[in-house]
Amino acid sequence: MAFAAFSTSTSAPEPAPRRKSPIALLLLLPGILYLVLFFLAPLVSLLLTSFQAPSEFGDVGQYSYAFRWENYVDVVAAYWPHIMRSFGYALIATVLALVFSYPLAYFIGVKARPWPLLQSLMLVLVIAPFFISFLLRTLAWKQLLSDESFVITSLKALSVLGPDAHFTGTPFAVIFGLTYNFIPFMTLPLYTTLERLDLRYLEAGSDLYARPFDVFRKITIPLSMPGIVAGTLLTFIPAAGDYINASRDFLGGPDTQMIGNVIEANFLVLQNYPAAAALSIILMSVILVMVSVYVKRSGTEELL
Amino acid sequence: MSSGEFASAGADLELVGIQKRFPGFTAIEHLDLKIPAGSFFALLGPSGCGKTTTLRLVAGLEEPTNGRILIGGTDVTHQKSFQRPVNTVFQSYALFPHMTVLENVAFGLRRRRIDDPVAKAHEALRLVELDHLASRRPQQLSGGQQQRVALARAIVNRPALLLLDEPLGALDLKLRRQMQLELKTIQEEVGLTFLHVTHDQEEAMTMADTVAVMNKGRIEQMGAPEELYELPRTAFVANFLGQSNLFTGPVVGSTSEAISVDVAGQKIVVPAARAHRHTGEVTIGVRPEKLTLHVTEPVGDVARNTMGPGRVIDVSFSGVSTQYLVEVPGIGTLIVFAQNMAFGPVAHEGSEVWMSWNIEHGFGLEDDASAEPRFEADDTTRSIATQKRSSLLTELEGA
Amino acid sequence: MKPRPLPADPMIAQLVRQARAATMGRRTLLAGAGGGAAALALAACSTGSATKPTAAPDESDSSKLVRWDNWALYIDVDDAGNYPTLDAFTAETGIKVEYTEAVDDNNTYFGKVKDQLALGQDIGADAVCLTDWMVGRWIRFGYTQELDQANIPNLKNLIPSLKDVGFDPGRKMSVPWQGGFAGICWNKEKLPNGLASVEELWGPDLKGRVGVLSEMRDTMGLIMSDMGVDIAGDWGDDEYFAAIDMLEKQVSDGQVRNIKGNAYKEDLINGDTLAAIVWSGDIVQLNAENGDKWEFVVPDKGGTLWNDNFLVPIGSPHKANVEKLIDFYYDPAVAAEVAAYVNYITPVAGAKEAAMAIDPELANNQLIFPDETTLAKARVFRTLTGAEEQKYDAAFQGILLGS
Repeated sequence: MAFAAFSTSTSAPEPAPRRKSPIALLLLLPGILYLVLFFLAPLVSLLLTSFQAPSEFGDVGQYSYAFRWENYVDVVAAYWPHIMRSFGYALIATVLALVFSYPLAYFIGVKARPWPLLQSLMLVLVIAPFFISFLLRTLAWKQLLSDESFVITSLKALSVLGPDAHFTGTPFAVIFGLTYNFIPFMTLPLYTTLERLDLRYLEAGSDLYARPFDVFRKITIPLSMPGIVAGTLLTFIPAAGDYINASRDFLGGPDTQMIGNVIEANFLVLQNYPAAAALSIILMSVILVMVSVYVKRSGTEELL
Repeated sequence: MSSGEFASAGADLELVGIQKRFPGFTAIEHLDLKIPAGSFFALLGPSGCGKTTTLRLVAGLEEPTNGRILIGGTDVTHQKSFQRPVNTVFQSYALFPHMTVLENVAFGLRRRRIDDPVAKAHEALRLVELDHLASRRPQQLSGGQQQRVALARAIVNRPALLLLDEPLGALDLKLRRQMQLELKTIQEEVGLTFLHVTHDQEEAMTMADTVAVMNKGRIEQMGAPEELYELPRTAFVANFLGQSNLFTGPVVGSTSEAISVDVAGQKIVVPAARAHRHTGEVTIGVRPEKLTLHVTEPVGDVARNTMGPGRVIDVSFSGVSTQYLVEVPGIGTLIVFAQNMAFGPVAHEGSEVWMSWNIEHGFGLEDDASAEPRFEADDTTRSIATQKRSSLLTELEGA
Repeated sequence: MKPRPLPADPMIAQLVRQARAATMGRRTLLAGAGGGAAALALAACSTGSATKPTAAPDESDSSKLVRWDNWALYIDVDDAGNYPTLDAFTAETGIKVEYTEAVDDNNTYFGKVKDQLALGQDIGADAVCLTDWMVGRWIRFGYTQELDQANIPNLKNLIPSLKDVGFDPGRKMSVPWQGGFAGICWNKEKLPNGLASVEELWGPDLKGRVGVLSEMRDTMGLIMSDMGVDIAGDWGDDEYFAAIDMLEKQVSDGQVRNIKGNAYKEDLINGDTLAAIVWSGDIVQLNAENGDKWEFVVPDKGGTLWNDNFLVPIGSPHKANVEKLIDFYYDPAVAAEVAAYVNYITPVAGAKEAAMAIDPELANNQLIFPDETTLAKARVFRTLTGAEEQKYDAAFQGILLGS
């Protein structure tokens, strides 16, 4: 078995020769153009806008180019509670989505493996809400949980809720909405990871004296980490910037406004474009920093 | 097994009346087995014979339909796998990819809150000569190294019983030989009871004190490797454990010393003590290396059986020996292994030859020669389907 | 009377209606706030320009067309989805009308078209109906064309109180389309005793069940009136910020449940709010659709009166056609036909008499054809300067966004 000795050798395969093909560059061009046109240019414009100053003798919504960095100080001073609230709500919603999604994804991806039909059916059920507009579903919840609705009146009758308690317009409602609307983004990545989970590792854990809970904590969870990281990012990032659930027209109230609502109000109503732009930049930067730290800490850099 | 302490020594394993049914088929019909403490026991058989199911029953990854499992006299039938003083070296190794080699080895110790798990893990890694790779991840190791980590991860717990599920299957031949020796050495050093499941008869014979040949959910024969080889009880064992020349014929004469069998007109004598049946149609056999090839008809010798003439139809040279296939009219093809004592083969393709062997080397099987061969090939559609189903179900059950 | 038949189930009907409005809202929002930094980029190009654009040359003689952007459910529609009065106009003048329900919100609409306006370009509309204060902003910015009143003889039917307004002295640039009151309303089943003033909204029995409008001039106008300020008169920061303090207190104490635009109606229907500051026309519709459950009143201390006004964007080449259109709708008979459908206040004198002939009950509805005593209670919020507008809007938005 002379060749068997070579099979374990560690020499890496030769890298493919690099050729600068004009065809490859040509094929890259639409992608690059797209990025420049629809990502880079708006980003630069956003950055420039965020430093604009009000025009002299200007009316509502009239600004000129400047380097007014105080815009950032102003918006942080005025809206820091909204910034904190956004990340707080998004964090809670992400944790709730994870707690609800994990058992579901585990059931579909692991327990239901012998019944592929059941797996498909449950996946369809997870995705099904997407077939109805996000707005319509959120409005439906607002109706279902309004003060005179069956749910709330029943809870009041059972003294679960106080007589003056209400659901819509509260932080609880906004977090509920965020969790509900973004839960499929958590369930699906979790499912794809758990579906590939090699159960022999779990048997090995059990064989090595790990109780079911320890197997879950020490083996299942770490092995499903890529799904957890992907799911939490896909939930947290849009939730932090969401302005629909917290909108006063949907589930929110005046004291549940998130950063997305502040940007919306500054952009559309106050026509304070520099403030809206500065807030957008802050939102993007904070998310970027949080995500990099999180991904680095969770040891799943390959996702980035 | 209580946490915080090791088993003092290997323990007996006893399987009593074990039956295991899966929906739609039976993996184990009825199994009684006793493995004494400190022995190296091999369960040998083709895939799908139920040996892996047996191992999983012992590990606690499956529950038997009927019967009891006792380890060191304690009934563990209804204990969960994490409660049993048993560790397994899995065929796939199942090393945790998210942990270092060291943490893999320390895993069981930590679960049982053994003092100083890191030091003990290092010690186990030193035993398999991999301590220098303790901080690597399993996927950075070669197959042989992974196998040794899996072994260290199991034996570091000092289980009363160590289960090995085809642990060498994924290794190439050279590494395999080396690991076989190492495993044997380690077993002798630590003094644990090893239950080794394999389909490789050579591996089983080299390593085990006792080999049980399993087929279709039953144990065909059990004993020391040389006993099994020299005196197979069934045609399955005779053919699965090495090769055999088997002949069928009626018993024509019988004394307290020996029986004579008429095989297509040639009288073959087998010692009575080495024959399981003494009357009627019997199957007798002899191992290929026991045959001596003659180019001229040998002179009669009462101590030897003679067969021939036949014609050599194939000669293949393999270094230490040469294998001849000899076609004998009315009987069939015989295999002869001849030591290469001289230069070149003794006979050539097409030559007329005779074969003889010492009467003491023959054996008589227990099988009813008139019955259809009990052992259908292992690769029929039915058995493949069964195996697939079995592996699927074991995977699910373990979840 | 309904434009498009809605599903019978009131909740579903409500959802569909909200979704119609919300989709529009979301689409426009997406263009700006969320990811569409491109909109900001466009905005950035021209926000600083101080030079006023010039009007486009009129091509009305050769191009018989009017493109009219208006609010939803703001004109008569028959069961086939046609607009009877518009068809009559086309038959009479030969001018084709492209009618679009493009205005969902004053600010959103302005945000969409202001960059083209600043450059004097055609925004794809020849007539737009916007609320007083937004019209004031267009006029201030020079985004409108001056109307030739000689081409609108029926303008004589404009009710006298609207002939001269602060944001458009002499009605040179704008002509009212429909108007309405902001006042207070309550759920008659839950509050059988009714309400008479804004102050009563702050009563302890209504804690957490009061809604106010996200339209600054209406909510603040009612609160200031309640505090004794003549909102049409000469008031300043002191009066405004006293009212802001009052509103802020009610919001932070949890007295006010929510602050909404058009969606406030859903809160009234589902019972989240039992009393609210609302627009008159909506209550007529709500009562028609959900049973006669609500009562509307303009408080004695004063409500607001607002109008949506025609204007001709600076880049439109069809000003003369628009003038013909306005003239057509200022015929009292036509105005009565529209008023019977939209439930808002018509600014056309003589329409009430014309309506009498169609439906006397309608003609006597105070919310559609208010009499002198009702009208006397409602005031028009005074015109703000650009600086005031920024300051007051920011303070009001501060409450809407909470802290």
